[in-house]
Amino acid sequence: MYEIRFHGRGGQGAVMAAQTIAEAAVYEGLEAIAFPFFGAERRGAPIMAFARIDDKKISLRTQVYQPDMVVVMEESLIEIEPVADGLKPGGCAVVNSKLSPNQIDLGVKARCATVDATSIALEMLKAPIVNTAILGAMARADDFVSIKAVKEAIASRFGEHLGEEAGRINAQAAQMAYEKVSIGESLAQRPITKRKMWLPTWQEMPPGVALYHEKRGEIEVGPGSSWQTRTGTWRTKTPRYLRDKCVRCARCWFICPDAAIKREADDHIDINYDYCKGCGMCASICPAKAIEMTKGAKL
Amino acid sequence: MVEKAMTIKTMPQEDQLGSGHGACGGCGLSTAVNNVLRILGPDTVVYAPASCLLVFSAAYPISAFKVPFIYSAFENTGAVISGISAGLRKQGKQTYVVGIAGDGGTFDIGLQALAGAAERNDDVLYVCVDNEAYMNTGTQRSGSTPFGAWTTTTPVGSKTQGKRSFKKDMMCVVAGQDVAYAATLSIAHPNDFVKKVEKAKAMRGFRFLHIMTPCTSGWKTDPAVTYDLARLAVETGMWALYEIENGETTVTYRPEEMLPVENYLKLQGRFRHMSKEDIDTLQRWLCKRWDQRYHTDMVSKEEPKGDKELAMCGEETEGL
Repeated sequence: MYEIRFHGRGGQGAVMAAQTIAEAAVYEGLEAIAFPFFGAERRGAPIMAFARIDDKKISLRTQVYQPDMVVVMEESLIEIEPVADGLKPGGCAVVNSKLSPNQIDLGVKARCATVDATSIALEMLKAPIVNTAILGAMARADDFVSIKAVKEAIASRFGEHLGEEAGRINAQAAQMAYEKVSIGESLAQRPITKRKMWLPTWQEMPPGVALYHEKRGEIEVGPGSSWQTRTGTWRTKTPRYLRDKCVRCARCWFICPDAAIKREADDHIDINYDYCKGCGMCASICPAKAIEMTKGAKL
Repeated sequence: MVEKAMTIKTMPQEDQLGSGHGACGGCGLSTAVNNVLRILGPDTVVYAPASCLLVFSAAYPISAFKVPFIYSAFENTGAVISGISAGLRKQGKQTYVVGIAGDGGTFDIGLQALAGAAERNDDVLYVCVDNEAYMNTGTQRSGSTPFGAWTTTTPVGSKTQGKRSFKKDMMCVVAGQDVAYAATLSIAHPNDFVKKVEKAKAMRGFRFLHIMTPCTSGWKTDPAVTYDLARLAVETGMWALYEIENGETTVTYRPEEMLPVENYLKLQGRFRHMSKEDIDTLQRWLCKRWDQRYHTDMVSKEEPKGDKELAMCGEETEGL
């Protein structure tokens, strides 16, 4: 069985990519399934999608914990997610990056393919939607499906949703990525830290499953425990606060959906970048243009 | 001496819906909920049925609510908060009980439980956070979805072009039951928002707050325009700010002039397909609504002076 795990951000098309690679495998006469990670993560959040391919019927329905291939749709995810966690010996990684494979630090030494899918997508599709280019790179990185089947699956799946022309252009993007892939070996410098969890048995569950704010297992649970999730990692734009221009109206504090803006005693503000998702609502409500949005996850 | 109404400058600053929840960037709903809870304060119990709010803020065992939170089933917000309220009353507690349901949980699925609680005039606060479709499950149409909008169950094709019926007037349904207080709110009018929540907090009996909360993924918009959409909705007549107290309707913010609805539609992917005829149909419906709302019986004769300014939080930005 060949197992694939996709790491992307909500809205990037990781689920569509997983479905398309499964469809390509079906064209090759294999059995395949694809499914997303079922969770509460929304647009911009790091998410996962999975695909399994086999030459006999697949009955395993769990998430993929030991993939043969990990696909990283955005380079910045390597910093915030343990992408190479559980990667099988001999497995490979496909990373959307301008860098060459031996500059990519996954935390394990593994076969690694890089492709600048963002540039390809911008050139071919005029939009930074990288999933089809990534699919082409996958076909090159390992020989579990042919590029022909991948292109056929893209034409079918994207054509059905977006029209024939879109299917054709997306298939071309995959071909271009297939040709431009560079393959090498990744670095193993960063530690792979696993997610902390509380996985109780049914005997350990409290009556009525009610929880106080307390520590259970490795994490805090109950009211107010969400602070442990640093949603600032979702950010692709960053607000810059121009203190001199601020009229101290507190509107940005009111509108911030993530409670990431704190008011100082004199109503100047302080942005908490650990939680700011970079939505830009504070900048749009500001009457004095004292908040401006800058590109990138950092100021 | 008349006490000055609470404003965003004077409202409590302690967050009750903390950071780290999983809402989309630019989510109007989390802004609305956090601000309602800031004003209600720490002595509050929250109930939310199946909705985005439940999923992004309270996925077991993690919770973003700093106040007690309970969840039961989709259709019974009204019934559960009535029960919690009765239990607390028996214990002699003054804790505020608030149920926060989405438009699906209010307009469609939760309507009978809501109607029951309203009819009994139970001492609860019911907040409807209206993002105009079932966003949690991936955008299915609800009774709140406006005319012409694309959803997965009102698709766009050669035979049909988005939703064919108009948005249900939920405020009329609730106000028809003689509730203590009902008001519409918008996150783009912060001081009006704060004033209404404070008013609802001080009252007893069944109180209903209806908040429009733009949704970046379901409306297919850029996260940064959430505020502009909430503002334009009021200016184009897609949303109106008023309150109903003892059967008396008071408009709390009246736009200077009606903007064409196209200004609002063109910012959103869910309306992109709309034909000229459909836009005209929607515009005519809105004009009729507008006239009813602002020129006839719904306009109070004694509208307090300076209220409009307060709604736009004008006095807080003096010197601009």
